[in-house]
Amino acid sequence: MKFSFNWIREFTDVPQSTSARDLERLITMKTAECEGIEPVGDLLATACLATVVSVEEMPGGHHRKAVVETERYGLKTVVCGAPNCRAGMKTVYVPLGTKTIGGVESDGMLASGAELSINRDAAGIVDLAAGETLDRCAPDGVIEIDNKSITHRPDLWGHYGMAREVAAILGSELRDPVSMDLLPAGNAAIGVSIVDFSLCARYSALVFENVTVRPSPLWLQYRLEAIGLNPINNIVDFTNFIMAELGQPTHAFDRDLIEGGTIFVRPAKTGESIRALNGEDYDLSETNLVIADASGPVAIAGVIGGEATAIGGRTTSIILESANFLAASVRKTSAQLKLRTDASMRFEKAQDPENTTRALARAVALLEELSPGIRLVGGVADERKPAVPQPVIQLPLDWLARKLGRSLEVAEVRQILERLQFGVSESSPGVLAVTVPSWRATKDIAVKDDLVEEVGRMIGYSSIDPRPPALLASPPKPDPTRLFHRELRALLTGIGFTEVYNYSFVSEEEIGRFGFTAAEHVAVLNPIASGQELLRTSLLPGIRRNVVENTKYFDSFRLFEIGREIHRQPAGLPGEPAHLVAVVHARDDGARGLFELKHAAEAILPGAEIRPVEARSFEHPARAAEVVWRGETVGRLFEFGPSMEIDGRAAVLDLDLRKVGRRMGGESKYRPPGKYPSSEFDLSVLAGLREYVGDLRAKVEGFAGSLAESVEYVRQYSGPPFSEGVKSVTFRLRVGSPERTLASEEVGAVRAAIIEGMQGLGYELRV
Amino acid sequence: MLEATLSALEQSARLRIAGAQSLEELEAVRVDALGRKGTLAQASKEMGKVPAEERGRIGKLLNAVKQQLEEALDAKKRHFEEAALKARLDSEWIDLTLPAAGVPRGHLHPISKIQAEIEDLFISMGFVVLDGPEVETEYHNFDALNIPADHPARDMQDTFWVEGGHVLRTHTSPVQVRGMEKLGPPLRMIAPGRVFRNESVDASHDHTFYQLEGMMIDRDVSVGNLTYFMKTLLGSIFGREVTVRLRPGFFPFVEPGFELDIQCLLCGGPGCAVCKQSGWVELLPCGLVNPNVLRMSGIDPEEWNGFAFGLGMTRLVMMRYGIDDIRQLQSGSLRFLNQF
Repeated sequence: MKFSFNWIREFTDVPQSTSARDLERLITMKTAECEGIEPVGDLLATACLATVVSVEEMPGGHHRKAVVETERYGLKTVVCGAPNCRAGMKTVYVPLGTKTIGGVESDGMLASGAELSINRDAAGIVDLAAGETLDRCAPDGVIEIDNKSITHRPDLWGHYGMAREVAAILGSELRDPVSMDLLPAGNAAIGVSIVDFSLCARYSALVFENVTVRPSPLWLQYRLEAIGLNPINNIVDFTNFIMAELGQPTHAFDRDLIEGGTIFVRPAKTGESIRALNGEDYDLSETNLVIADASGPVAIAGVIGGEATAIGGRTTSIILESANFLAASVRKTSAQLKLRTDASMRFEKAQDPENTTRALARAVALLEELSPGIRLVGGVADERKPAVPQPVIQLPLDWLARKLGRSLEVAEVRQILERLQFGVSESSPGVLAVTVPSWRATKDIAVKDDLVEEVGRMIGYSSIDPRPPALLASPPKPDPTRLFHRELRALLTGIGFTEVYNYSFVSEEEIGRFGFTAAEHVAVLNPIASGQELLRTSLLPGIRRNVVENTKYFDSFRLFEIGREIHRQPAGLPGEPAHLVAVVHARDDGARGLFELKHAAEAILPGAEIRPVEARSFEHPARAAEVVWRGETVGRLFEFGPSMEIDGRAAVLDLDLRKVGRRMGGESKYRPPGKYPSSEFDLSVLAGLREYVGDLRAKVEGFAGSLAESVEYVRQYSGPPFSEGVKSVTFRLRVGSPERTLASEEVGAVRAAIIEGMQGLGYELRV
Repeated sequence: MLEATLSALEQSARLRIAGAQSLEELEAVRVDALGRKGTLAQASKEMGKVPAEERGRIGKLLNAVKQQLEEALDAKKRHFEEAALKARLDSEWIDLTLPAAGVPRGHLHPISKIQAEIEDLFISMGFVVLDGPEVETEYHNFDALNIPADHPARDMQDTFWVEGGHVLRTHTSPVQVRGMEKLGPPLRMIAPGRVFRNESVDASHDHTFYQLEGMMIDRDVSVGNLTYFMKTLLGSIFGREVTVRLRPGFFPFVEPGFELDIQCLLCGGPGCAVCKQSGWVELLPCGLVNPNVLRMSGIDPEEWNGFAFGLGMTRLVMMRYGIDDIRQLQSGSLRFLNQF
């Protein structure tokens, strides 16, 4: 929303020493966020009216030499390229220094509306009507306010409302541009029928006749142009002007095109449609509130007018609508029709119903100037639901002081609220009864907490000292999951892994590569870019992408991500288990990466087992295993298969941290180291080449009995003297007892038991 | 007579010790001079011929020669051993400027780093760290935060909608609601996490970024308390005293609501390109918790109140490390991540 500094200054005095920039800062600190300030109309500082005395064509036909009588600088000769430059016309002269054009010395220039920033007319120089002046056309500063920061302030969507804030900030007087006396008394010339007052709290209208549609005076064009509205003609312009000034949208219908004598405010009927002023057709439904005449909808309430009843060159009589619609209804319609207008933006903030007739009164004053000869027909049509009494809020000052964290004087608080036009009385000692003005009461201010802000911003938050709270010191509950995730990060970075963050989105193409189906994913209903259609059910697609990208720059690397999978559930919110995926990429045979990750898994989950299993479609068919920890499968260790199209090998560890977390905990229990020496011996088992060492070891351990302290893998060997397809696997056994030194017969018995047991399973042993 | 022999014997042995070129030669000298059949042993056999009154003196002399020769031999031996050790050590010269062995340390994501710092700070001040789902209910993301369906504030955040009427959380604020529901007052919590906005992506906007929500609910929480915590937080993050200011800002879940600005750390106030000449950088929205929000989560606003803030962690990380393109953060690029 743009605000003209000059416009604001029409309603309240700003000291000479306060520049537009100063005001911008004050508004930022006390009211709403300013995004910047833009000077406009700089040329107007020196511009003045001028009458063209004579015009002489110059050779070439492009330029004319004009002699002008200026109001401030005397007689001047200028070269002018404008086709409309003619003797006798009244225009605008700007002294810009002299310049020789086509051999003629041109002193200054005659300016177009666009050059002066008054309007967008660049076709010719300004052509002033009789009696028109440059009054109120002075250099201006345009302050841009962030719309988000005034979402809750319907009253700040017009200059008068902002001026009210400025007056409160500066302590200066406020001048109301509205004179309600101008409203005519008597019966209205048009009927108004509101079907549901909850959707339309008030509908006011006034009829004018003998209207002439013509350009607006320069000062008004300049005001609109400064805040980014394109001046069109007096009728369009004055409605825009009133909206920009009072925040109240109005709409003018061509009275001759309205059927019947009554305006209906009602929900649209199924099947109704309307061609709007923007030339688009809209199909309406019962959720859309419309303005209708006897034949059907003529406007979408609070959003846009209809084309069929619009003001045109032949308009001589208008019905001026100034209404108040339910914010939620306007917002819903505007969203549904995907049509946001200056009017809908204001109505959806909940405008003040008291403002409708104020806008009409303002229109009466303006139209007298903008359309000379205009006549009012009848009185004001004004249907409304009974006005609600202005709410009164009890504000205890000690409560206020506690909230702000600063002591306050009654007089100080009172003055602040009164400047903001709240009604204030002291209902009991230390408690103020605060009456909320109508323009703040629609949505903005309802409870005493809302007044904390009013007082706080005006005393300035910088006047409140930072202070630690007085509260019980209590340590927060420990958070083992978070600690575990942190430990994981520390451990993995310590052994060379770098952490990545990937998006939660995946594309259909990506999941297709993994053999996942779209149906198992949570779908995003309104993605704006490709690749955002689905939510990831696995971190693997993201990690694969990271691997593929990084192989372009690195020969080998280690990555990991801790993130959430998102799994759809039959009902309710999706499940979001946290996962860890770690990957080792290298251009080698891939074995080292797998064992590095096995090492990582064992470091994270002491005692974890890796159990080979059948591979999934995207895994290396001979290199896939489950990670089993404390009796539950908590993840997988595998190598990406060839379908992943990775340059080199990528080993992957994928752990379900939610499962891991559930199984964590339990302190280790200390046992003193044995006092008696233990004995060691080696055993070699002959087995098939693809027999898992882990299985062999488990069998050996099973036969070793209670005296065995450890069974350690030493080496495996295949080749001569062993026959083809056979390997020898050597284990080292340590046996001992915490109570005594074992006799050699006891050690021998353990050894014999293993040999016998393994032989019983059909294994040959080399001892 | 024997005295002269001893003297000659000593002289000759000393010469040979001095001339020995190796431990072996030295050993030969020892055997020849001091061995059981060595020259000194031979000489001692002559003791019988020495007159009795001389025997004591010559005997001492003999012992002295033996001892001196042993010392000389030892010294020479030590010399050889030291030289040998020195030569071995010298031969073991290693170029320690060669690259380190083992796998170099990996790198934590910069967001993880900053997040851990902030978590630790708040934990030290008695806050719990809470978590909420990334796919959130419309109620928790909007309604319970005083943003009903028809409220224009819904437009402040472009929302990803997913099936089931749920949303990808547009902020970490719903975790406030979950915290209040789960733990009730008094409450001190923060909630770091990933949030989503349905916006087009450029160097300073991403559809996915990180926020850190904070909330304190107690009996008498004031604007002054909020400022205190924010100053402490920011001072710790930036590692120096910071100047902050509050100005009005609208967020439906707080009342009053603020934008907190920090005095530009680069120029310190006079204005520069980073702070767009204003001397201040907008950093985080905050405010006192709106009584409606408390009420909806079953907390009596007459008894309890509090403050809440939302820190843009991604933005903070970018400021702290001077990262000029937000897209780097989730690119998975090691060329980026290796720098942290």
